[in-house]
Amino acid sequence: MSRKSERLVNLTIALLATKRYLTKSEIFRTVDGYEGAPEAMERMFERDKDDLRSLGITIELGTFDPLFEDEAGYRITPSSYQLNLGELDGTDIALLSIAASAWTGAALEKESTSALIKLASMGLDSDSEALSLLAPRVSGTDQNFAVLTDAIIRRSEIEFTYVGSDLSRSARRVAPYSMRGRTGSWYLVGLDLEKNSLRTFRLDRISSEISVGKKSSAYVIPENIPEQQAEEAQEVALLRVRKNRGHQLRSLSTLVNPGDDWDDVSIPILSPSWLLRLILWHRDDVIVVKPATLRKDVLASLIDLQVLHG
Amino acid sequence: MAKSSTTPLEQTARLLDLVPFLLSHQGISLEELAKHFKVESDVIIDDLNTLWMCGLPGYTPLELIDLAFDSGYVTIRNAAPLAYVRTMSSAEIVSLTLGLDLLRENSEKLGEDQSNRIERLSALLRKQIGEQITIASSSHTAHRSVVALSISQRVPVQMTYYSSNSDQKSQRLVTAYDFFQENEVEYFQAYCHSSKGMRTFRVDRIVEVSLADVEAEIPSGQVEKNERIRVGATVRSLDRTSAEAFRLDFAQLQVGAGVTLEAFSPEWLIRAIMAGAGSLAVDDPAEFRLQIRESVDATIALYE
Repeated sequence: MSRKSERLVNLTIALLATKRYLTKSEIFRTVDGYEGAPEAMERMFERDKDDLRSLGITIELGTFDPLFEDEAGYRITPSSYQLNLGELDGTDIALLSIAASAWTGAALEKESTSALIKLASMGLDSDSEALSLLAPRVSGTDQNFAVLTDAIIRRSEIEFTYVGSDLSRSARRVAPYSMRGRTGSWYLVGLDLEKNSLRTFRLDRISSEISVGKKSSAYVIPENIPEQQAEEAQEVALLRVRKNRGHQLRSLSTLVNPGDDWDDVSIPILSPSWLLRLILWHRDDVIVVKPATLRKDVLASLIDLQVLHG
Repeated sequence: MAKSSTTPLEQTARLLDLVPFLLSHQGISLEELAKHFKVESDVIIDDLNTLWMCGLPGYTPLELIDLAFDSGYVTIRNAAPLAYVRTMSSAEIVSLTLGLDLLRENSEKLGEDQSNRIERLSALLRKQIGEQITIASSSHTAHRSVVALSISQRVPVQMTYYSSNSDQKSQRLVTAYDFFQENEVEYFQAYCHSSKGMRTFRVDRIVEVSLADVEAEIPSGQVEKNERIRVGATVRSLDRTSAEAFRLDFAQLQVGAGVTLEAFSPEWLIRAIMAGAGSLAVDDPAEFRLQIRESVDATIALYE
């Protein structure tokens, strides 16, 4: 049994039930759990307010009468405390419940559980017919997921350690803009505050916990976030790909010129190192025609592999 | 996942949510209650004992929350000040919104009324969290639901599947057994009637899938798993592509150190070693080392 959670609940009840603002001294006198020296109680109360705020509870500060210099008091208004999703019926609740169950075993399982409990507490019978729908499933169990969604919504800057392509770690400071789930991975798009440019980060390459800045509304998210850093003078690679092979390369191509045994496939080079790996993956089903640098790099990697396995 | 210990703040959140939940579920068993909150029974009992001490200032029996749960069934009275269902956190709303997004993709199965409701609910929730957090509209979810149907009803499905190992698309008739997840990727085990054996498939590699209009018998004793291949290799340079492909721990990797690599298919293993661009060198078995060498030689020959 925890004295702290008991005190927090009692404080919430007192602030929620009061019609007028309760002064600090009234709180210390009447709410169970505040004891000890005045300074100790002050510190306790400050922490308690922070804790309740972190649970999403808004504590209002005000006075009874602005004309008199009364001591400021506190209260929680039921309208800010209470869940308000408008008019919902049993079918809505059922659909939302299926939506929440998508997180079973995934990143937001804790949050979706408490969301389900709140839905179930609204006193509406869930329509069981809708429950026969097959529940979708979210993949991804990243621990940083909830922290990140919260930072984006609050517009707070974040800091984390990121693993680079050579496995080196670097500290990043980012204004997070958006998060996208795609092909089994989650990607964070944000403004890298050191480099002052837009970057995409894969969540499972973040090797530390994400620390979130205290300040909210620290930045504005631009209207249109480009999918990828737009590079104006994009180079195009020309590859020769064996017939009926290299579907992945073909799906990236902007132009295919069919030949007899081999097709000419053009692919814009978004990331040279990534394309190099993809070409090596396709073994002897692809030849690089140009650019010369890519051809040279692929050949150098192949000779390296040949020596290593000689 | 049931939890056995929680922080005071987590407990506070649970206590505030317990009251409205109990008010709308009078007489619920302790067991059921623990299941709803996904915690162990003793956590819920501790919660109820704590809640019992809470109430309005004064804290006489007139002001305290009145709980009865000795019988194993919980009833609550005198809890009016906490009767409100608490507003949802942004993460809770995100969980519902993304869940709805996925449900909407599953549109084949949704009736018109359900689609309209999902639109309305989604707009309602998006108003509170904005448009920044999204899940790509992909066909995976729809595919997954067809496979799920195959699993639950033991019916065969016709599928076009892209295999990145062989880099080819194939038509297969399969009966799915089970989903499993490995390193964020979802797979399923299925009996493949086309190749007459158990196979593992990735959900995101399904190109097309639909219920098959045929009967297909699965021969008994056919449910053995694919064998894993293991090879020994040396780390030549630190490389994220290789580490992710072989699920090696980023923090543990050292240049010059030996590692064991695992894979289901030799073809995949050769491709992954080559895509590693020399960051990993295979040491044993010698026969496998030779296969890599041959593949590299064949590729180099193209440039001569």
